[in-house]
Amino acid sequence: MSELDLWLVPLLMALLIGVLCPITGTLLVTQRRVLQANLISHAVLPGVAIAVAFGVDPAIGGVLSGLLGSLAAERMQRGQPAGQEAVINTVLAGFLGLGVLLIPVLNIRLDLEALLFGDLLIVDWSDLYRVLVAAAAMALLLLTRYRQLVFLGVDPEGAQASGLPVRGLQLVQALVTSMVIVSAMAAVGVILVIGLLCAPVLPGLWRVKSLRAAMLQSALVGLGLSAVGFLLAVPLNLPPGPLIGVVCMVLLCLPNLRPANSG
Amino acid sequence: MRVPPLVAQGLSVAYGNRVVLDDVSLTLEAGTLTALVGANGAGKSTLLHLLQGRLIPSAGMVACDGMPIQSCRDRVVLMPQRGRIDWSFPITVREFVALGAMGNSSFGCCDREAALQRVGLESLATRRLDALSGGQQQRALLARTLVQPSRVLLLDEPCAAIDPPSRGQLIALMRQLADAGQTLLVSNHDWGSALDLYDRVIVLDGRVVADGAPQQVRSMLGSNLAVQESFHE
Repeated sequence: MSELDLWLVPLLMALLIGVLCPITGTLLVTQRRVLQANLISHAVLPGVAIAVAFGVDPAIGGVLSGLLGSLAAERMQRGQPAGQEAVINTVLAGFLGLGVLLIPVLNIRLDLEALLFGDLLIVDWSDLYRVLVAAAAMALLLLTRYRQLVFLGVDPEGAQASGLPVRGLQLVQALVTSMVIVSAMAAVGVILVIGLLCAPVLPGLWRVKSLRAAMLQSALVGLGLSAVGFLLAVPLNLPPGPLIGVVCMVLLCLPNLRPANSG
Repeated sequence: MRVPPLVAQGLSVAYGNRVVLDDVSLTLEAGTLTALVGANGAGKSTLLHLLQGRLIPSAGMVACDGMPIQSCRDRVVLMPQRGRIDWSFPITVREFVALGAMGNSSFGCCDREAALQRVGLESLATRRLDALSGGQQQRALLARTLVQPSRVLLLDEPCAAIDPPSRGQLIALMRQLADAGQTLLVSNHDWGSALDLYDRVIVLDGRVVADGAPQQVRSMLGSNLAVQESFHE
């Protein structure tokens, strides 16, 4: 890897996930499915472990595992109307635990810390390509199903009554979300990715007049957050992933980014 | 002889041992505004979902224009309760109303702009949905319903949680739609004078307790204090 690659690839990676994660997060926040994204991010671990054990690309295992976790939680939620969050969190813990257990059982070497918190400074071109593939999947989803996603967000029951394939749409969205989370895993890890999915969406969400505008705004905020986190990490000699996570939280504390009547 | 747009016969629904609806039959004539009145838990929403074909009854049948509802569900449109909508979603009133046309090759009684005009929201079309008052939001929801092609409109508590002037506006609007030939069935809690604006009132309490013109129903239930008091619970 050349000297240029050493800095260029992590910077490009930071900027790309800084745009892609908030766009994905806008869908999740407006559909109130952030908890599902949190579940997916934790549920990728068993798939990554199995993929490594069988010599398959860990990203493929992670995406399938994240999707499986999401489907399992959805299945178990049926008949538990009051305890849906509890079910999701239980499945989240179960998949995470399973992933940790599989490491010694399958006798594989896996850098758990890098998986959970990422390491932006060691990403390479293959990590960047994964982000581009996830970005292409998200772009395709938005270009072909934008209005359906709007309907799903504002009135899921109405969307179903209108004959929209709500179940299929939610499944595709979960798949694309898994792809985005797994592609960002190398940079910020499966835990810190939640910060980039959510924080850039919140400032000004109350002000924009369309989902499209919300996505554009959150992408710009995410780009700024990633750039600030990355550029601060270099002089401070700190890991960029956790720093981006902290910058995301600080953003929420800025009073002028909240509605006037929010106190 | 003209076939009524909506006919239900002997509808029964039970969840486990609890009977929600028992042998409910009704016929809606074209161009009529009918109130479906009942207390909480009387089975109003369940009945509306049955009439739209989204629920399958344990007994009985629903027909639209003489055909089983399952083969013509798109002819009966249900306007949901306001609690089903995420009013804080980033969307303008115009875009929200346009969602009603999604999945349909044609418009209902009017297109998006005409529907906005009909409910009196054309000047607020570019506002965010959550910038509207409760009554205006209900009218936006009604406009979205109007752009869907339909023979029958089922409205689930459209007057709930809105102020009296907005309620009056909404009922007047429904009256206009019925006068223009639309068939409407409107569920509500209201036992007041607003019922006089309807052509017909059906009182539900798991079964049809009373059915007729507003004055007729009032006199039928005049002595039945238990039913009347249940509306004020």
